Amino acid sequence: MVGSKNRKLQLILLYTIAIIFLIIMVYPYLYMILNSLAPWDQVDRKIIPTGITLKSYIWLLLGGEDVTPRPWLRAFANSIIVTISSTFLMMVTALLVAYALSKIVFKGSRTINNIIMFQMFYPSIILLIPTFLLVKKLGLYDSYWGMIIPKSVSLWAIFMYTNFFKAIPNELIEAAKIDGANEIKILFKIVLPMSKSITTVIFLFLFMERWVELLWDMLVVHNQNLLTLNVMLAQMFGPYGAYPGPMYAASVILTMPILILFIIFSKNFKEGIQFVLK
Amino acid sequence: MKKGQEKLGWLFASPYLVYSLIFFVIPLFGALFLSFTNWNLISPQYENVGFLNFIQSVKSPGVKAAFFVTYKFMIIFVPMVLIGSLILSLIIYSLPRFKSFFSVGYFLPYLASGVATSVVVRGILSYNSALNAWLRNTWHLNIDWLGSPILAPLIIAVMISWKFMGYYSLILTSGLESIPGEVYEAAAIDGATGWIKFFKITLPLLYPAMFTVTILAVGLVFGIFTEPYVLTGGGPGFSTNTWQIEIYNQAFSKLNAGYGSAIAIIDSVVTFVTIIIVRKLLEIWGKTYGWE
Repeated sequence: MVGSKNRKLQLILLYTIAIIFLIIMVYPYLYMILNSLAPWDQVDRKIIPTGITLKSYIWLLLGGEDVTPRPWLRAFANSIIVTISSTFLMMVTALLVAYALSKIVFKGSRTINNIIMFQMFYPSIILLIPTFLLVKKLGLYDSYWGMIIPKSVSLWAIFMYTNFFKAIPNELIEAAKIDGANEIKILFKIVLPMSKSITTVIFLFLFMERWVELLWDMLVVHNQNLLTLNVMLAQMFGPYGAYPGPMYAASVILTMPILILFIIFSKNFKEGIQFVLK
Repeated sequence: MKKGQEKLGWLFASPYLVYSLIFFVIPLFGALFLSFTNWNLISPQYENVGFLNFIQSVKSPGVKAAFFVTYKFMIIFVPMVLIGSLILSLIIYSLPRFKSFFSVGYFLPYLASGVATSVVVRGILSYNSALNAWLRNTWHLNIDWLGSPILAPLIIAVMISWKFMGYYSLILTSGLESIPGEVYEAAAIDGATGWIKFFKITLPLLYPAMFTVTILAVGLVFGIFTEPYVLTGGGPGFSTNTWQIEIYNQAFSKLNAGYGSAIAIIDSVVTFVTIIIVRKLLEIWGKTYGWE
């Protein structure tokens, strides 16, 4: 009797701590949303604003008295174009390469596997300056392609898919071959549907990382109409210092798509992440 | 049939091969080549300057700062994120229900853009913010958070810990879940409770997961860019001047591509050596205590 009462108290304490930590972890998001909707004289000054206004969002899109508006919507569209194209290419290339390395028997596959491992642990910062020069030479500077092509292959995604595909029984693939299916059909009609949860996790991680990329997108694009949302927010950090409300509005617009995407896929994510963490 | 497989393998792997040639092999040699020149990104002319870039960079205050700032971040950030993620994973592990709700909730910071987080942090710490007003009125404290060379790196370490704690806690939680229940039962028979159980059983058996998280966190420190770039610009007084900030400033603000490449090479050697040393230390530590 005493034991169960103790247990109950313990549980209450445990859940209280869990909720306190949850509030800490999501507080910056709440802060961002509340302040993007707060009347301007209350931004940052009130823990919970007393009113709600869309002024910050409207100002962001239309500009103020002597501030010309920036192409924020355009930047949002740019982010979508770049992130989706780049993520799509990284997924497709990873599927093809991983299928080759795990399910096709050919001489170079072992060597390629080893080189990929080496590249993954290689500090990529060393490549930054020469890659920038190369992209300029190739005529990709100041274009969508400059942001997409250098980020069209993900070693991590290849590595993850390769390990996952190795666990898929070869008999399944042999059987499909006897039925006359070619490799592309096998990959997309048999192997891919069996890899739903890992695909969700790889997609989410790639999408997320591409969405918040700063350094590369900032270097390779100069044209104001091609900037991604993340880069534009970083560029306006100083100049819009006196307008915190609109900065919160832009931050919300930047953050929400990724949060919504994650919450939609969170069930598949929970299943797939276990594999990724191994 | 066999020959077809051979061709098919290379064909399927070709996107990777072409990409690696263009975006790995060529830049790698490019970096080596550039680091021995004085090229400034614009002029068509440049000269071979031998080891001058390397000698200059080792002497420069910016590179020295980057070297020490990184270890400073390591000393603050790694223990902070380890303890934080351990607490989160112990919470998730102990909860009888709503495990996935809380672990998803704790993971959400990982989705944040460092730029958006910087906007929030600047707001919370601004002069007229609710926090600073309260500190002034109640405690007569007037803190210039981001203007202090001691607090600024601490704030960035907190921001990055916040971002990665939930992610790392997933790794630790799966480590906790892999500890067999019998071990705890056996310990309970021997009379072990509470903290003793935690330090004598949980922590040693969690060693592999902690090892992974520590290595990830150490590697992460070398990649810090967004937060100091947006929030502090590497300052005040070089106190948050990370390797990436230094390389960016030299190569793209001051346009010293050759000099920047030399710093990048020094950085990658330092990164490599540090990670190897940390790995070895952890392995020795694990062996000494009989953990695996």
